[in-house]
Amino acid sequence: MSFNAEREITRLWSGLHSAQGEIGRTYYRWRQAALEVAGPEAKPLDVSLRAAEIMGAEIGKAILPRLNWLKGEEAWLMNLAKNYAGNWINQGAIVKVEKGENPFEVFIKWERCPWPTFAKEYGAEMEEDVLCCDRILQSILKDVNLFFNVNYKIETLKAIPRGEGVCLRRLYKG
Amino acid sequence: MGKLLFEWDYSSYPGAKTYPHLFKPIELGNLTIPNRIKYAATEENLNGRDGFVTDAGVAYLRERAKGVVGGICTMQGVYMDEKRQGQGYVGQAAAWDDKFVPGLKRLADAIHEERAVAGCQLMHCGRVGAVETEYCQGPSDVPQRLRIFRPVQEMTKADIKQCIKEHIEAAERLLKAGFDILEVSGIVGYLLSNFVSRYTNRRTDEYGGDVRGRMRFVVELIQEVKKVCGDVPVGIRLCAEELLDDVCGNTPEESMITFEMSEEAGVDFLSVTAGWQESIVPVISRDVPQGSWIHLAKRAKEHLKVPVQMAYRLFKPDLPNKAIGEGHLDFWEMCRPMIADPLMPKKVLEGREEDIRYCVACNLCLARLFRDAPMTCYINPLCAHESDPKFTDPGPAEEEKNIMIVGGGPAGLECAYAAARRGHEVHVYEKREELGGTIIEASKAPYGDEELFTCIEYQKAQCEKAGVSFHLGTEVTEELIQDELPDTVVLATGPVYAKGQGPGFDGENVVNVLDVLSGKAIVGDKVVVWGSRKPGIGVALFLAKQGKKVTIVGKERTAGFDVNPSFKWRYMIYLRQNGVMAYNDCDIEEIKASEVMVRTYDGYRFPVECDTVVVTEREANDSLKDVVQAEGIELFVIGDALVPRNLSSAVHDGYRIGIRV
Repeated sequence: MSFNAEREITRLWSGLHSAQGEIGRTYYRWRQAALEVAGPEAKPLDVSLRAAEIMGAEIGKAILPRLNWLKGEEAWLMNLAKNYAGNWINQGAIVKVEKGENPFEVFIKWERCPWPTFAKEYGAEMEEDVLCCDRILQSILKDVNLFFNVNYKIETLKAIPRGEGVCLRRLYKG
Repeated sequence: MGKLLFEWDYSSYPGAKTYPHLFKPIELGNLTIPNRIKYAATEENLNGRDGFVTDAGVAYLRERAKGVVGGICTMQGVYMDEKRQGQGYVGQAAAWDDKFVPGLKRLADAIHEERAVAGCQLMHCGRVGAVETEYCQGPSDVPQRLRIFRPVQEMTKADIKQCIKEHIEAAERLLKAGFDILEVSGIVGYLLSNFVSRYTNRRTDEYGGDVRGRMRFVVELIQEVKKVCGDVPVGIRLCAEELLDDVCGNTPEESMITFEMSEEAGVDFLSVTAGWQESIVPVISRDVPQGSWIHLAKRAKEHLKVPVQMAYRLFKPDLPNKAIGEGHLDFWEMCRPMIADPLMPKKVLEGREEDIRYCVACNLCLARLFRDAPMTCYINPLCAHESDPKFTDPGPAEEEKNIMIVGGGPAGLECAYAAARRGHEVHVYEKREELGGTIIEASKAPYGDEELFTCIEYQKAQCEKAGVSFHLGTEVTEELIQDELPDTVVLATGPVYAKGQGPGFDGENVVNVLDVLSGKAIVGDKVVVWGSRKPGIGVALFLAKQGKKVTIVGKERTAGFDVNPSFKWRYMIYLRQNGVMAYNDCDIEEIKASEVMVRTYDGYRFPVECDTVVVTEREANDSLKDVVQAEGIELFVIGDALVPRNLSSAVHDGYRIGIRV
C-alpha cells in the first residue's frame, strides 16, 4: 500500500488545529452558560476569574509529578517554565522560554496566542483575557510553591490584549 | 528472661537446623519470643466498612498465625478517630470506641489459639488517609503528588493533642482485647512519617523545624502510649530512607536520628522500612532484587540497641537467616510472602520448602487495596477465602473421575493437583518435554521475571505429591481422546497467537514471542512488537536490553493494559529508559521487508522502520473443544485457552475448576 506522508501530515495538522479551536470555543460556551445561570447581578470578570483559578489549580496538580528537584533548582525552574509554555502551545500559542540574568529568573514570551481572538469573537473584554491568564498562572504556582517549599512569583510585563505585541511574563524567586 | 507466652521446641524440625538463626528465641521488652518470625501488619480490606472485624478478617489472620509457628502475628493497623480522617482503607479495622473491643478480641484470641504472639498496630494514615472523608490530616497542607489521595488539612495544636489522646485510648482498647505487643506505624506516608519528614512538615511551631522538632509529635506519642502499655512491648515502624530526594525529603542521616530518638522515647523494637507511596524509586516490586534493603537494617542496628525488624524483599529464608546470623537484623518480617503463602515459615521449619508458594512481587494486593477492593493474591487463589471451607478445603469428590488435562502450564497444573487431592485420577498431557507452558518463556524477560517460574515449581511439587501423572512430549489428538475416553477433559492449552489480516503477516520476518524469548527465532536490529499487553512489554524489554531498536504497536489505549497499576508504572519507566516507543490505539496494516505500516484507530497511517515483527497478540484456543464435546465428555476450558489474560487468571481458573470438577 502506498504511503503519502504529506497527505497524512496534512490530515493530522488540520485535526490538531480543529481541536485547538474547539478548546477556546468550548471555554466561551461554558462561560456563557455560567453567566446565564449566575443571573444579571453576576459580574462576568468574577465568574471568569473563578474559572481561571480552578483551571490553574488543576494544571498545577498535573505539573507536580513532572518536576524533579534532584535536577537542581535552575533546571527545575526551566522545567516549570517549559510546562507553563507547553500548556499554551498545546492550545495553539507560540511560546518561548528564555533564561533571565538572575539564575532564578526566567522569561516566558507568548509571540502568538489564540485566546484574545476567542475573547473578541465571544464579546469578552480584552482586559478580562489578561487578568484570567494572570490568575491561571498564579494559581498554578500556588500548589507548586507549597509542594516544593519555595516562593516563586510570576508577573506580567506585557500583554497582547493590551496591544503590546507579545505577552511577556517574568517567573522569579521571591 | 522475659515471659514466654507459649512453649515451642523446634529442635526436631529440619528447618531449625538449616536456618538456625530464624528459630532462635529473642527478648522483646518483657517477652521472650521463641523465634525471629513476624507477620507484619497488613491491610486486607476484609473488615466491615464501619470498622468492625468480620469472620473473613479473623479467618485470614488465624491462617497467618498458624504460619508464624510461635512468632509474632500482627493484625492490621487500626484507625482511631471517629471522624475517620485516619482511615486509609475502606476495610480497615477501627478502635475509636469500646464497641470495637469484642471484634478486636476475636483477632487476638485467634492468634493465641494458634499459640502465637498477638501483635497489633495503631495506624493513622495521615496524608494517605481520609478514604471516606473529604480532607485528610497532616502537619502541613502540602499538596498531594498522587491525585488518588485527598487534599490535606493542616493540624492545629489541639488536633495534635486530640490525636495523641486517640492513640492512647485505642492502645487501651487493644490491650483490653488481649494483644501482647503494640506498635505504631510511621511509614510510607502515614501521619507519623508526615510529621517526621521535611517534605510534608513545614510547621514553624515546636512540632516543626529541624528533625528534632519534627520528631516531637512522635516522641510525645510514644511516651504517652508507653505509659498506658506498662510492661507490654511497644514498637514503631519508621523509614530508614524515605526515597523522596526529588521533593526534599529527609536524608538517611536524619532518619537515623529519628530511630535514635524513638529508642530514647522508650520503644522496645523498631521495624525498618524504605520508601513512601509517593516515592518514584521502586522498593518492593519484582525488579528490585531480593535482599536489596538489608543494608538499611544493618545501618539501623549500628544506631540502636533494641531489636530491629524488617520486611521488604526478603522472600526466601536464607536471606534473613544470614542477616540475623551476621547481626544485621533481629526479626524477619513478612507481608506479601505470607499473603501468597500464609504457612510459609511453618513450611520452612518443617523442611517443606518445595511446598511454598512464593510471592512474585507483582503488587496486585496493593493495587486492590488502593482501589477499595478486598485483598486478592495474584498467585494464591485461596487468599481472602479463608473463611469459606468449601473453597479452601472442598473435601473428596462425590464421584472419582479420570481427568485428562491438556496443557502443563500454570492453569493445567493448578487444576491438576486441586482435582487430584480430591481423589480424582488426573493425567496432565504436555506436548513439550517440560512443564510450565508459556511461563517458561515469560520468565526469561528482564527485571525479575524469572521469579514467575517459582509458581510452576510449586505446582509441580504439589502435583507430584497428589499423585498426578505427567505425560510429557505427548500432544493430545482426537485419536488420543477417543482411545483414553476420560470422564472429564480440561483444556489448558494456552492461547493461539493471532494471525494478522494484512499483507505480509505470513512473511519470514514475522516471528512468535515464545520463539524470540527462547532464542529460537532470528531477530534483526529494528523490531516491531505487535501487541502491547504484558507479553509484548516483556519481549520488548528483552530485545531492547540486547541493544535493538524496539517499537510496540498495540490496539489498547495504553501499553500494559493488563498489568496492575502498582506494577505498571515500573514498566513505563523501563520502556522509556530502554528507548522503546509504544504506539497505542494502533494496529499493523501491512508488513514489508524493511518497514511496517501502522494505522491509528482513527485512520492515520505512518511507516515504522523494522526488519522483524514479533507477534504477541493472542486469541482463545478452541482446538479439541468440538472433539471432546462430540464424544459427550465433560469439558472445561481454562486459562489463556479460554481468554488470553495473565498468570494470575490461569492459576485462579485452574484452582476453581480443580475444586469443582
